[in-house]
Amino acid sequence: MVPVDMYLVLATVMFTCGIVGIMARRNLIMVLMSIELMLNAVNIVFVAASRAVNNLDGQIMVFFIITVAACEAAVGLAMVIALYRKYGRIDTNFLRMLRG
Amino acid sequence: MMGLPELNPTVVLNGVINYLSSPAGIELIATFLKFLFVFVLVLQVPPIMVWAERRAPAFMQRRKGPNRVGIDIGPLKSRLYGLFQSLADTVKLIWKQEVMPDGANKVMYHLAPVFAVFAAIMIACAIPFGNDITAFGTKIPLSVIRLDVGFLFIFAISSLGVYTVTLAGWSSNNKYSLLGALRASAQMISYEIPLGLSLLPIVLIYGTLDLNEIVIEQTYFWQWGFIKAPVSFLIFLICMFAETNRAPFDLAEGESELVAGFHTEYNSAKFAAIFLGEYVSMFVLSCLASTIFFGGWQVGFISHEQLVNLLFGSEALAAFVGFNALLLKAAFFMWFYVWVRWTLPRFRYDQLMSLGWKFMLPLGLANILVTALVVAFLKF
Amino acid sequence: MTELLVFHALAGLITLCSIMVVASRNPVTSAVFLVVDLFCVAGLYAQMDAHFVAAIQVLVYAGAIVVLFMFVIMLLNLEPETMQGFRVSAPEVGILLVTIVGFIGVAVTMVLGGPSGANGGMTPEVIEQAGGNTFAVGMVLFTRYLWPFELASILILLAIVASVVIAKKDKPAAKDGAVAGKRSLTNGAR
Repeated sequence: MVPVDMYLVLATVMFTCGIVGIMARRNLIMVLMSIELMLNAVNIVFVAASRAVNNLDGQIMVFFIITVAACEAAVGLAMVIALYRKYGRIDTNFLRMLRG
Repeated sequence: MMGLPELNPTVVLNGVINYLSSPAGIELIATFLKFLFVFVLVLQVPPIMVWAERRAPAFMQRRKGPNRVGIDIGPLKSRLYGLFQSLADTVKLIWKQEVMPDGANKVMYHLAPVFAVFAAIMIACAIPFGNDITAFGTKIPLSVIRLDVGFLFIFAISSLGVYTVTLAGWSSNNKYSLLGALRASAQMISYEIPLGLSLLPIVLIYGTLDLNEIVIEQTYFWQWGFIKAPVSFLIFLICMFAETNRAPFDLAEGESELVAGFHTEYNSAKFAAIFLGEYVSMFVLSCLASTIFFGGWQVGFISHEQLVNLLFGSEALAAFVGFNALLLKAAFFMWFYVWVRWTLPRFRYDQLMSLGWKFMLPLGLANILVTALVVAFLKF
Repeated sequence: MTELLVFHALAGLITLCSIMVVASRNPVTSAVFLVVDLFCVAGLYAQMDAHFVAAIQVLVYAGAIVVLFMFVIMLLNLEPETMQGFRVSAPEVGILLVTIVGFIGVAVTMVLGGPSGANGGMTPEVIEQAGGNTFAVGMVLFTRYLWPFELASILILLAIVASVVIAKKDKPAAKDGAVAGKRSLTNGAR
């Protein structure tokens, strides 16, 4: 059986890729994709933990996380479309109107 | 991590043979052989379908299809009802020069046909071709992979089939391709939902997600799925056509509208791959329809045990008979595909979308509700 | 032994694909790498005997969410972006610090060893007896987690309505002589 910490390391690597993606990409859609990467990293940890503790709650949690991620992606992309229609570009350097 | 074992050839060979004789090893060899078998089987379908696709409408339209290509080698002179046309077509498709459009995204252009074939063959791996046989001391299931989530796996992989169309259309750098691709992918994802919804009542009725268990429960033909869940069968049939982009839902290819739709810029081997993917997914969905609604590998009038007894107790022979039964049923559905294509006119895009969302979806939901009520009522 | 092999193969692929998702300039390339990535994660779930979640992952994530991404990318016809360096400002530095703390946390967990001895009772034998992973998940989902399940369906409904409303085109103001919302043959192009 594969030890749990290996899954943890993999998930951390994936999560870091997601964070780097959010920070380094200017395209709003790429930011959303990096968020999906982070959510998947967390899912891996949940399933690995559920297997290590012999409890199915982790997999149920993953089920709900996937559901919420789908909803969030849908609404996020709808907003991207609306923003593109209004401003013509989805550059995060440009879309800073809420910034203090 | 374990240390490297000593690399003495005899020891390694012994280790390998030991592993291969264990149940896990036999399963591995069996899976590999089954996959090879399924792969070869599935590759036989497109040439036959290409032939059927041209001869059948010819007879429906009171003409003869292609029947000129023949072989004339010495004593062997035959035209074989135009079957050699498929051979000629295949040779042409392989040897024709490939032209890639100038502004095309090279990686995506080459990658798109891969998804088609991949998705189709993966689904073929989950379909049971016969009951479990016991050989070499272990029970070998006659599907390449035996999953307890058979249904979900098939939905999941068929939802990957959208990428072919999307990537192919986008990467071709061509207006017509992009239009065809977007329309086709919207159509495919819209009809995935009624497809899934129509199979939920089946799960409710049979109580399992495993395809082999569902076939085992359909012993006699009054127990077949299309009698127990007729509305499901109807919805599944219609969505089958929409999922494979076949008439009357074929505006993705839209032969008279969009040049050739999403595969305009594909020629030669890649076109053959996309073509192959389409016909293989037709075949696979036909097998799925026969498995769920028509009894799969069960011969309808005798049960499997009686069949085994009839065939001198040989499970392998019974499996062979079952396999042929499944192929016959799938062949019926393939014929149905061709028949419908050359009979019905094409849907307009908005008609198609409103059919999918405003009719199929509510019908599927109502079907689930009614089935759930009936099953709950019958259980009490 | 085979488990470790499968895990390492999948983990290597996942790492590679995650890096390529973030590093590709073309959004469609990133999307394709994301599909492969999510598919490999589903394979990882299957290796961990979480068959139901693996199927759901391919069905929802790889088969629907990324298709949605691709649709939007193609409809908006995005250009490949020119990469620039990190933006350095307060929130991002905060996130970086959190990530570093996370790394330290993982390192500490590895040194101390994983969860020890806690047993939730759902050993593989129990799951096998219950009829497989899907049956077991279903039983838990529809008894203990029924409320969240129903609320999730309402959440999905909300998301559908919200995305349709947000992405809808505003109807143009009615011209003289044309009834708003009624299609005419010339469609207003006189």
